Amino acid sequence: MALCKINTFINLIRNNSPYPVLSRTIFKTNNFNYSKPILIGSQRWLFHESHRKGGYDTEHKVSNLEHLKKGFQELKQELKLFKQEVIDLIETDPLLIARPGETDLIWCFNDLSTLDKFVTTADSDHNEGFSSCSLEMSSAGRARFHGYLDVRVPKDGRIKKAGYCAMRSKRIRKSFKRPATFDWHLYNTLVLKIRGDGRSYLLNISCEGFYDVTWNDIYHYVLYTRGGPYWQIAKIPFSKFVLGSKGRLQDKQTRMRFDRVTHFGISCGDKINGRFDLEIEYVGLEFDPTHDEEFAYEMYKTDKYIVGV
Amino acid sequence: MANKILGNILRTRPSFMLFKRWEGSKSEKRVTVHDPFYSQPQKNKQSYLEVIKMFEGQDTRRRGHVEFIYAALARMREFGVQKDLEVYKALVDVLPKGKLIPRNIFQAEFMHYPKQQQCAIDLLEQMEDNKVMPDSELEQMLLNIFGSRGIPLRKFWRMLYWMPKFRNLSPWYLPEELPNDTIALARLAIERITSVDPDIKVEIWETEEIEASLDKTWIVSAQSESQKILLAEQPLDDPLIVKGPFNVYLREQVVSYFLLIGKTRPEIKDDSDPDDVSNIKKPLGIPGVVGSSQVPVVRQTVHEQDDGTIVSVCATGTSSRDSLLSWIRLLEKHGNPLLSSIPVIFTLTAPPSEMSIPETQPVKDRSKVEEIAS
Repeated sequence: MALCKINTFINLIRNNSPYPVLSRTIFKTNNFNYSKPILIGSQRWLFHESHRKGGYDTEHKVSNLEHLKKGFQELKQELKLFKQEVIDLIETDPLLIARPGETDLIWCFNDLSTLDKFVTTADSDHNEGFSSCSLEMSSAGRARFHGYLDVRVPKDGRIKKAGYCAMRSKRIRKSFKRPATFDWHLYNTLVLKIRGDGRSYLLNISCEGFYDVTWNDIYHYVLYTRGGPYWQIAKIPFSKFVLGSKGRLQDKQTRMRFDRVTHFGISCGDKINGRFDLEIEYVGLEFDPTHDEEFAYEMYKTDKYIVGV
Repeated sequence: MANKILGNILRTRPSFMLFKRWEGSKSEKRVTVHDPFYSQPQKNKQSYLEVIKMFEGQDTRRRGHVEFIYAALARMREFGVQKDLEVYKALVDVLPKGKLIPRNIFQAEFMHYPKQQQCAIDLLEQMEDNKVMPDSELEQMLLNIFGSRGIPLRKFWRMLYWMPKFRNLSPWYLPEELPNDTIALARLAIERITSVDPDIKVEIWETEEIEASLDKTWIVSAQSESQKILLAEQPLDDPLIVKGPFNVYLREQVVSYFLLIGKTRPEIKDDSDPDDVSNIKKPLGIPGVVGSSQVPVVRQTVHEQDDGTIVSVCATGTSSRDSLLSWIRLLEKHGNPLLSSIPVIFTLTAPPSEMSIPETQPVKDRSKVEEIAS
């Protein structure tokens, strides 16, 4: 009986936890195996983001000794990378112009090693829904991003909407695990060769910065697919991408910083229950000299206290 | 004066639209729920609007209007009105006019009447999710309720800015309301996936034309002239393959289609050097020059994909094996005589079984089951 009461009390705190300190102490003392409370919804409780992943703790905890061992094993690979970096620095042979009409591929999905550069996520990974997805090689020898999109909301009283599947590239890095960014300033068009199923997908280009306000900056655009057995080439100018943060379009729009691109991803979340299937041959970049638009959306000044509040 | 106010309060009936508390006999106190949406015999727009009218007429103070709007929003899909702007307007109209407008800067800054504002924002969000575009009348209504500093107004203006930008973005046009007829829907789907080739002809056949057919159904088949040529050039010893079913989505509607795939054709290798000037042919189309306009016999078409040559695409009424057999027969009848002598392999995955997915079970298991089945 007493246990039951404590449980209900804890549930009460978990579900509407305006007192994070209190709930934390209770978790410590009771040692219950609850997942960390995650703040969902438009309400913000703090002025800053304390966690890059927004509270989704996906890190594997390892002991210090294990850490040392694994780090030592990776030393060889890292030194190789470092050597290559030094060679590149000495050679100083960067790409200075992009040839118009030619597509430079960033990822060509013709072998398994390219798929390792991507991570898939679905809402069921965090017990927030029932969708599932995977990125595999297709029978035609390309990447196949497929799964089941389910918009049912789990009945835990915490989540209002569900149903997303996403694939995202891993953060590129320099040697010794230093994070790096893509440099796409030569190009102005994103080119994808795909074969879809008639659904519309979302292209996400993350431009994470140093400060916490920029951690969730993602530039979005819709990828419409024709469906059917024929490949299609989608060319989307970067000027069309809109800035969003945590899925919300921002009032103050800016164009993308091409030298600060950290991730590229495709997600499926069109609120339609059912299987989805997207085959991707390559993701590339192109310089289109006829496209001189810098940013497709209005950037005039608006009234005070209306925009950006 | 005080008496008048007190009287006013006492006269208002303490009835709650959704919850009547402590009803029943005096000894046994329990909660009874009265849900006007539930008790409607017919679930349509008319009855939905009637419930809203009932709520508005019930109580001059409109107590519990926020709760009512939330309850009404949750019932929209049930009544089939989630895409109707008029219904959303009727719901916004429930909110009191004038009372919620902030009177000074502090009220404006610190979210005057937060529950009501959040409720209106959620209503607008639901509109957005259902792709309902607001209009200027709704703006006027919101202005009368929350004033120009209200947060629902900001949400409204954002919607009015962005939604028209994305509304007609899709390069493949679909009508506002998809047809209910399955043949028309299948035709739309086949036309969409074969839109790569403008020469393609979409035809609707009945399987009754084939006497041996068991399934009496329809077939929407698409084939272009170039595909006929590609089919005619298939080697006789290499079988054609019927693959499917694959899905194509037209918004929420799913249409499954099948492919008739031939052997992958070898790529044409053109080793001639365009800079080589030793053997220039006579230019064509110049007046005075007599030349023959020769089109290369084998041309790369869009149907020659790297995993096979797509010879035809179809959707049938039943998606059954027999109807596909009839499709092959009908193709043979309509200008592909080679099909009578070339073998055709049916590699069809089993039709997806109707499995109920338990609420707690992740869907991963289901895909595994299907993969095994296929």
